[in-house]
Amino acid sequence: MIWLTWRQHRAQALATLIGLGAIGVFLLITGPRIASAFHELHACLVVPGKDCSQLHDSFDRRFSGLSFLVPVFMVVPMLMGVFLGAPLIAREVEQGTHRLAWTQSVTRGRWALTKIGLVSVFTLAAAGLFAWMVSRWSYPLVAASDGRFGFGVFDLRGIVPIAYALFALALGTAVGALIRKTVPAMAVTLGAFVAVRAVVELVLRPRYLPAQTVSYPFLQGSPRAGLGDWLISSRVFDPTGRFVSPDGGITVNPSALAHLCPGVPATPSLGGKDEVGRCLSQLGVRFVDTYQPGSRYWLFQGIESAIFLLLAAGLIVLAMWLIRRRIS
Amino acid sequence: MNNTAALEASSLSRRYGSTWALDDCSLSLPTARVIALVGPNGAGKTTLLHLATGLLQPTSGSIRVLGELPGANPEILGRVGFVAQEMPLYRNFTVAEMLRFGEKLNPTWDQHLAVDRLESLSIPLAQKVGTLSGGQRGQVSLAIALAKRPELLLLDEPLASLDPLARRDFLAALMESVAEHGVSVVLSSHLVSDLERVCDHLVVLRNGRVAVDGDIGGLVRTHRLVSGPRHTGDLGGVGEVIDRTDTDRQTVALVRTHGPVLDPTWVVREVDLEEIVLGYLGGRGGSSASADPTLRAVQSTPSEVGS
Repeated sequence: MIWLTWRQHRAQALATLIGLGAIGVFLLITGPRIASAFHELHACLVVPGKDCSQLHDSFDRRFSGLSFLVPVFMVVPMLMGVFLGAPLIAREVEQGTHRLAWTQSVTRGRWALTKIGLVSVFTLAAAGLFAWMVSRWSYPLVAASDGRFGFGVFDLRGIVPIAYALFALALGTAVGALIRKTVPAMAVTLGAFVAVRAVVELVLRPRYLPAQTVSYPFLQGSPRAGLGDWLISSRVFDPTGRFVSPDGGITVNPSALAHLCPGVPATPSLGGKDEVGRCLSQLGVRFVDTYQPGSRYWLFQGIESAIFLLLAAGLIVLAMWLIRRRIS
Repeated sequence: MNNTAALEASSLSRRYGSTWALDDCSLSLPTARVIALVGPNGAGKTTLLHLATGLLQPTSGSIRVLGELPGANPEILGRVGFVAQEMPLYRNFTVAEMLRFGEKLNPTWDQHLAVDRLESLSIPLAQKVGTLSGGQRGQVSLAIALAKRPELLLLDEPLASLDPLARRDFLAALMESVAEHGVSVVLSSHLVSDLERVCDHLVVLRNGRVAVDGDIGGLVRTHRLVSGPRHTGDLGGVGEVIDRTDTDRQTVALVRTHGPVLDPTWVVREVDLEEIVLGYLGGRGGSSASADPTLRAVQSTPSEVGS
């Protein structure tokens, strides 16, 4: 069975490794440049009070072109599922070879578990390699930016890409066993994967644990700056605790402002903004930030991975049931 | 070896949605025979064979092969060889890799048997399966099924996709190994003429039911085609009537007899396998060229076009 699985899927395995190799070469070429630029920036950042904004801007400008990699890296685990998982059962049934395989001296349960098991181990290793490469390579980019929780950052690093890949593989296998046609199974796998990822990312992830809030004077720096928090919302409240506006943007009534803050220009010029802010914060206008603490990063990685691994396990159970009971 | 049946079905039924592919079939097929499973398309032949391999589960009733539940464990899987209708093989494998597949998945694999068989047929082991002819693919499928050294070999329409020459070679190869290894064979087909030379037991399926099941020699001995003046009532004195055709002047019937038919108004002649099968399928005689001179009168009557 091990030989058969290898013989049937060696081409896909080879293609996966070539793809990973190409990504690896690209990361090896670009990685050292990013690392050395970051080294320079980091040397500045560790000096307290030093203004590093120019250095920071040039770092961001220089590597902003790499953002095209985010969607590329985002689909890699999905592609493993689509190209390894969907054909796993579907192609056998499509070509009728399941009737050959299932009438040899191996029960179809063992046949399926061996195939799924071996391809899963391969996927685990390939996705692990991919996640490790991307995590290492992107470390300076993430360290120089807002945090590790962002869209296209959290999803590409740590352990979640491995869980996504195993989920995609299980999804492809189960959909293939259900639809029994390779190409439609690939399409459905793709759509279902994107849908599940979107729901988890947009709906579930901010709620894994209750968010915390911090309140601080208007237009002043957050006391939690630099802790790598995941800022979910930042809202403005007036002195009575009434909600004024989301995301820090407010509109000012000039005559009311002139009355409350004498001496502050009624139509604030660019330079007058700080004065307006200072005056408003003195009046008691406050920011209230809702956030997930940066210290929860690995906990969130673990929770998200667990969700996808549980879904994968359920899909494998479904696939095994279909293979044992529904396909002939 | 022992006296368990090669295949035993009891009230076996299988439904797909609302249609019954097999409906209350009871059968007991002997071992060490070559059994023809005959019926038109959709009669339930493939369903019966899939039930016998464990690919399908019965909706109700039970089926046993060699005394065991089909497909229940590796041991019984190994004792039953199967060639599916489309003769599926991994198209991108070489012939040698297909044999390796058989070797890896069957502890009882006989590599010599497979290699010798394919070499004697001049099928190159290094060739990709996808580039083989239909006849060669059939031979590779048969070689794989035989090399696992099964006690029972189930072949689903093995001749359907083969040209006449390949058909002859396939049957020759099959008969050779039956003679050599004493394998029991169940062979399904919708063509009877191919099977007459090789089979010694007949099962006719019709609309998911067993129409007839018996030793071919016995069936030929006990069945007769009788013809006589048009007869409105039952045909008396001839045993069971299987199929009858009435024209204006004449009645022709396939009957099962229990002894000689004595009524002098009837012309009685012997039948071949094809006529028996067609009779049980409710066909219209369609007697092929037979050398029996007593039949000329019957054959020249309008009964032939009476359908």
